[in-house]
Amino acid sequence: MLAITAGGVVVWAVWVIAGFACLASGLAVVSFTNPFYSALALIGNLGSLAVLYLLLSAEFVAAAQVLVYAGAVMVMFLFVTAYVGPRHEPPWAGGPSWKTLAAVLAAGAIFVEIIVAIGLTAGGRLRTSPEVGSVFGSPAWIGRLFLTDHLLAFEITSIVLLVAAIGGVILGSHTRRAVRGEMG
Amino acid sequence: MLLGPGVVWYLGIAAFLFATGAFGVLVRRNPLIVLLSLEIMLNGANLALIAFSRHAGNGAGQIFALSVMAVAAAEVCVGLGLVVAIHRRRLALDVDALSELRG
Amino acid sequence: MIAGAWLCLIAPLAGTVLILLGGTRIPRRAAAWISTISVFVAFAGAVWSFFGLRANASHDAHISTAYTWLAAGSFKVPMQVLVDPLSTMMMLIVSGVGALIVLYSIGYMDGDDEERRYFAYMSLFVFSMLMLVEGGNLLLLLVGWGLVGLSSYLLIGFWHERPSAVAAAKKAFIMNAFGDATMALALFVLIAHGSSLGYSESFATASHLSQTTVNLVALGLLGGAVAKSAQIPLQTWLPDAMEGPTPVSALIHAATMVTAGVYLIARTHPIFEDAPTIALVAAGLGAATLLMAGLIALVQTDIKRVIAYSTMSQIGYMFMAVGVGAYANGMFHLMTHAFFKALLFMTAGLVIHAIADEQDIRKLRGVGKLMPLTKWAFLLGALALVGIPAFSGFFSKDPILAADLHDHWYGVVFWLCGLVGAFLTGLYTFRLYFIVFPGEPSAFVREHLHLHHGKEGPWTMLVPVGVLTVLAVLGGWIQFQPFWEPITHWLAPVVPTEPAAVATNWDDAITSLIAPILGALGITVAWAIYGKKQLLAVPKIPWLQRLLEHKFYFDEAYDWAFYRPAVATATLWRRDFEEPIVLTAGSDLGEGTLELGEQTQRIQTGLLRTYVFFLGAGMAVIAVVFLLVR
Repeated sequence: MLAITAGGVVVWAVWVIAGFACLASGLAVVSFTNPFYSALALIGNLGSLAVLYLLLSAEFVAAAQVLVYAGAVMVMFLFVTAYVGPRHEPPWAGGPSWKTLAAVLAAGAIFVEIIVAIGLTAGGRLRTSPEVGSVFGSPAWIGRLFLTDHLLAFEITSIVLLVAAIGGVILGSHTRRAVRGEMG
Repeated sequence: MLLGPGVVWYLGIAAFLFATGAFGVLVRRNPLIVLLSLEIMLNGANLALIAFSRHAGNGAGQIFALSVMAVAAAEVCVGLGLVVAIHRRRLALDVDALSELRG
Repeated sequence: MIAGAWLCLIAPLAGTVLILLGGTRIPRRAAAWISTISVFVAFAGAVWSFFGLRANASHDAHISTAYTWLAAGSFKVPMQVLVDPLSTMMMLIVSGVGALIVLYSIGYMDGDDEERRYFAYMSLFVFSMLMLVEGGNLLLLLVGWGLVGLSSYLLIGFWHERPSAVAAAKKAFIMNAFGDATMALALFVLIAHGSSLGYSESFATASHLSQTTVNLVALGLLGGAVAKSAQIPLQTWLPDAMEGPTPVSALIHAATMVTAGVYLIARTHPIFEDAPTIALVAAGLGAATLLMAGLIALVQTDIKRVIAYSTMSQIGYMFMAVGVGAYANGMFHLMTHAFFKALLFMTAGLVIHAIADEQDIRKLRGVGKLMPLTKWAFLLGALALVGIPAFSGFFSKDPILAADLHDHWYGVVFWLCGLVGAFLTGLYTFRLYFIVFPGEPSAFVREHLHLHHGKEGPWTMLVPVGVLTVLAVLGGWIQFQPFWEPITHWLAPVVPTEPAAVATNWDDAITSLIAPILGALGITVAWAIYGKKQLLAVPKIPWLQRLLEHKFYFDEAYDWAFYRPAVATATLWRRDFEEPIVLTAGSDLGEGTLELGEQTQRIQTGLLRTYVFFLGAGMAVIAVVFLLVR
């Protein structure tokens, strides 16, 4: 399994670092009490994921991840977090409650289940992956797919975005007047 | 030829991310952090999609992942709008306190 | 002839319907006369069909079908009317005596608030009884059977404000219902083995049944007959039925309904001939009843109850007759009994009506001086009942005993029972006569006697009494076994007397000698004890006195055997099952649902995290299921 070539070693090393960063930042997101730090951890997570995508020959997706997700979505997050102001969740007083324990168990169960599911269904066939051409994962290739095989998904996604934009505007505007009325 | 670890390892990371995100959603009380945990889960799913796409040589996985990203953006937009609205009302930003649909 | 039969059947029904439709719009008198005229029309119809049948060369059964009443697969029951010697004889008796009694009721029930209801019921009863005797198949007979039971219930409980009347009505109905049930079971067996309930078809079916089965069928029919005719063991309802008005007692519980059992056995005689054991049981029950009723009548103090027990006893004679196969004798006695028993009831009714509705004979003394016509009518009826020669009872009762004497060793036992019964009949009947009629009127009588414009009753009451007196005296002369026997010959095509029951001349002679002597002896003893001279005293036997006064403890026995267990079971069920479980089930169900709702409500925590948790858990379960299934 270990391809002892220079390329192989580098890939392995990059994978280990990126994977580790991914896992660590994921845990960090759910652990920090300050939402600002959690958001920053998420940005780190997104970055490491982009690296993993590159390792999987998904270049366009990696770029989109960094540009859209980390660049736009997370910025919005940080804006709102800053607007809302510093908030400190009450400390984990008196040790983890039963709800936390249940949540840990649930998350663990999900993790184990997914692994088992994958193992049971695909098991041996996942050992080796076939070759893919150089066009695989390129922007041109993705674009062609979007406009031919997956046109419907493309269009519907755009509608979803439109609806979300409208929803966001509405959520943002009306409350101002209502709040005024209540306070006045 | 896929250099480095097999697809299975990527799937393992994806599973772990998903579980971590689930844990965050269940445990945290600040809605902003809940939304962040939700993002973690979505990213886990994305990673799995990309891994399978690479394994099968099929582009559908990557297309799906891009759609997921777009939908996640939309969802965050609405979610944050809600958070802002709640904040404007001077309500506590605590999912346990926000248990009644009133007003 | 057929038209006469239909007219006879429909007229009383029309009377009832007219009274029903008229309601309170028609005057009470009008209702009374509608009813009376309808029954007289029925009598005319009966006469018409009788003479029509007589003119017919073959006196066979003529069946006229109107339509198919009931059809279930291959089993059909047509609405049909049967005209044959037996049915025409019964039609004449029922409609004739019925018409006289309904006419009498006009005077008796005059002034009652609910006269219309009474006459509607009376017409209904006559219709039902005619349906019973004219029905062309066993199911129509059962229909008439049930309807007469209903009419009896309605009429016994006519004065429904009286609790005793209501209780008596219920008792009569329930005991009759028992008989109805056994009859229905017998009919079920016949239907199961045959395809029709017409008389000839049923008899053919019965002849092919195994001995046990046909015994069961006969037993079922006997059960119905015993219930309707108040024989042991279902006899306790008849004395209580005297709560009804006196004409009701005369018509239903003397002349017609209680004789339906005898008619039934005569009509279905082939089945009983196929089951000789059961026929013997019938005769035995008749013998036992006639003795028991005669003994009980000796201690009764209610004028109507004495006559009721007398009825029970005389029907015992009729059962003895049809049980051994002397059907014509039984039917002849049925006819003469209808005459003199109705007469006795009607004269008792005259007394009761005139003296403030008083029925206790200890208070009614010396009535004869003030009501001579009534006295003579009662006396003649009593002589007919006892069977004194030349009166009707003599001609009808003795041939029964003679027929019994001829028939095997048990026939001799029945003969002896009948003779003892004759003595008892004389004794109790004339006890009643000597207590109530002769001598000085008691203070009570003088005070309460109220004559109708100086006469003993209105003409509507006196005319029927007169007619029946004539019939009671002369009616027996129609058949004098063995010299002339028109009735036996008339009935022979339908109900031939069994050879074992044909009495020899010697039997007839010895019986006709001994029985009247015993009857006269009974009269003499009664005169000695209760007459003016009071030569003998009533023997004082306390245990016997108590036994007779309690009517052989039948009522108490039934109370213990049936009523108390039923009440105990019902109470048990109510206390342990219905109240804790059933009654609370409704409220418990409501409460439980509310509680379930409240518990379910707690899932709605409003907390986001709870919902997400359940979402995740559900997803996990589904994933597991998917994995396992694949």
